[in-house]
Amino acid sequence: MKLLVPVKRVVDYNVKVRVKADHTGVETANVKMSMNPFDEIAVEEAVRLKEKGAATEIIAVSAGPTACQEQIRTALAMGADRGILIEHDGILEPLAVAKLLKAVIAKESPDLVILGKQAIDDDMNATGQMLAALLGWPQGTYASKVEPADGGIKVTREVDGGLERLQLKLPAIVTTDLRLNEPRYASLPNIMKARKKPIETLKPADLGVDVSPRLTVLKVEEPPKRQAGKKVGSVQELVEKLRNEAKVI
Amino acid sequence: MALETDGFAIPELAEEHRMVRDLVARFVERDLMPLEPAVLKRESEGGRYGLTPEEEAPLLARAKELGLYGLDVPEEFGGADLPVSALMAIEEEMGRTVTPFIFPPDSPNLHMLLAVANAEQRTKYLDPYARGEMRSSIAISEPGAGGDPAGMTTRAVKDGDHWVINGRKIWVSGVPRADFIILMARTGEGKRQEGVTAFIVERGTPGFVIEREIPMIGGRRTYELVFEDCRVHERQILGQLGAGYAPMQLRLNVRRLQMGARCTGMARRALEMLCEQAKNRTTFGVRLADRQAIQWWIAEAATKIHITRLMVRDAAAKMSAGQDVRTEASMLKVHATEMAQEVLDNAMQTFGAMGMTKELPLQLMAAQVRVQRIYEGPSEVHRMAIARRFLKERG
Repeated sequence: MKLLVPVKRVVDYNVKVRVKADHTGVETANVKMSMNPFDEIAVEEAVRLKEKGAATEIIAVSAGPTACQEQIRTALAMGADRGILIEHDGILEPLAVAKLLKAVIAKESPDLVILGKQAIDDDMNATGQMLAALLGWPQGTYASKVEPADGGIKVTREVDGGLERLQLKLPAIVTTDLRLNEPRYASLPNIMKARKKPIETLKPADLGVDVSPRLTVLKVEEPPKRQAGKKVGSVQELVEKLRNEAKVI
Repeated sequence: MALETDGFAIPELAEEHRMVRDLVARFVERDLMPLEPAVLKRESEGGRYGLTPEEEAPLLARAKELGLYGLDVPEEFGGADLPVSALMAIEEEMGRTVTPFIFPPDSPNLHMLLAVANAEQRTKYLDPYARGEMRSSIAISEPGAGGDPAGMTTRAVKDGDHWVINGRKIWVSGVPRADFIILMARTGEGKRQEGVTAFIVERGTPGFVIEREIPMIGGRRTYELVFEDCRVHERQILGQLGAGYAPMQLRLNVRRLQMGARCTGMARRALEMLCEQAKNRTTFGVRLADRQAIQWWIAEAATKIHITRLMVRDAAAKMSAGQDVRTEASMLKVHATEMAQEVLDNAMQTFGAMGMTKELPLQLMAAQVRVQRIYEGPSEVHRMAIARRFLKERG
């Protein structure tokens, strides 16, 4: 089984995100960037499938500026075999990424694509689903468990009120949820080995994909500041305030 | 290496070395920092500053699994052979925690052994040391003779194919856990470092006595050692007879760079804590973060941390290129320790009474930096060395 793992370069989860002064987006200059944590879970799952003998090759792919190489390199250090960078400066919307991935899939013919359910920057939660729709492949989203079974793949999803189990035929798309696994640290020897693993660089034009944005961002703003809380002396006072000040009861 | 417009070079870390640094940063945050409360509690209650074997074993296993053993050990000994700049970036991350942990082996003695150990010593000491299976310490200072080798009185006298050592050493760290020590002793005549020889003395050699344990501020302990007719075979001589001092200098430069990096890490942690507190704490209706006094501390600290990191990076690149970095090492030793002391002190001040407690790591770090201003050469000696070299170079 050949696996494709798309990884996105995002603002590190530890960084407090700030809105750009001109309100066109969030500040990414001089900000620590990392692999989207859900994609890290996807890489980990792929590496585990390979370690179990269920997968033969893992290809990590990223679309974005040249610096995305760092995230591909991280995936290679975790255990992916080779990388593909689709170089593009500027906005890449989920539909554009899904189209780019579709074109890569046409070249590479993977049996399974594992990717994060969403990226922690824009929280779109769309690329996996769009890719499945474009390809007409089955999808198992929000996976909390992935097992190869009966020539296909069994995906457990955490849904309201319980667990849903899907049996998918290959090729298929799986998007990862937080509890699927805990990603490993890439060890020092594997970081050094990753240096020698190949990364192929492509342009959207090489794949014949038009990535021009379809959406227009009007304005990006900080959420309103939270007001300070109030301490109340008694239940009566609390009820009174909820009724007359907050007007919620 | 990218050149700035004013001609300065700011050596960047290679991508893989940034990844290794990030790996260590994660190890520090997820594996070491959670142990801090236990470490601080034991120390504050008068117990040992250190990890229990139960705490340390999983960390060593984890470090081994992540390949964080033998970071600066050459590849022929199975190490990662990282360049100095990467090692210092790692050291900086390690400086952010007071949980005492060293990726084996402790490197300074390694450099000395690598430089001068003969074939037999390589097999017997260097190999297991490089694998992290042996520990060592070094005995240089004597009561009444610290950084100045002229006052060294410990003497080794030849007796057949053996040498008989008599004398006293002090401020030696890590002795109880060391399998061997490198001992500096006078074997010939000379006013200063001439005639000083390095010996490898194994623990348990008759006549090698641990006289007393000396508790130091900052939680560490050092030892006073006595050598009474301690007989060691001549094959225990490390390097050339009478020329033990120069290779030891090699060790000291690494050590001073390491201290610079470690101080940068400590100051970073202090600044992070200071900022956190300044944003959360309000006094007399004003957030501490909105007060100019605090803001200036933050600005000063951030600037000085940046300066120190660049100094480390610069010295590391020069050291890797085989240049003499004695001046840079001295500058770092002075600047980094004094910088960290100031930032830690301001952080403690920002925390008020809480900053005076033994529940925060700040006080322990501050005490450790205080010690660093003395060992491996007091600030004053380094200032003197820097100035003398400058005066000499300029006729």
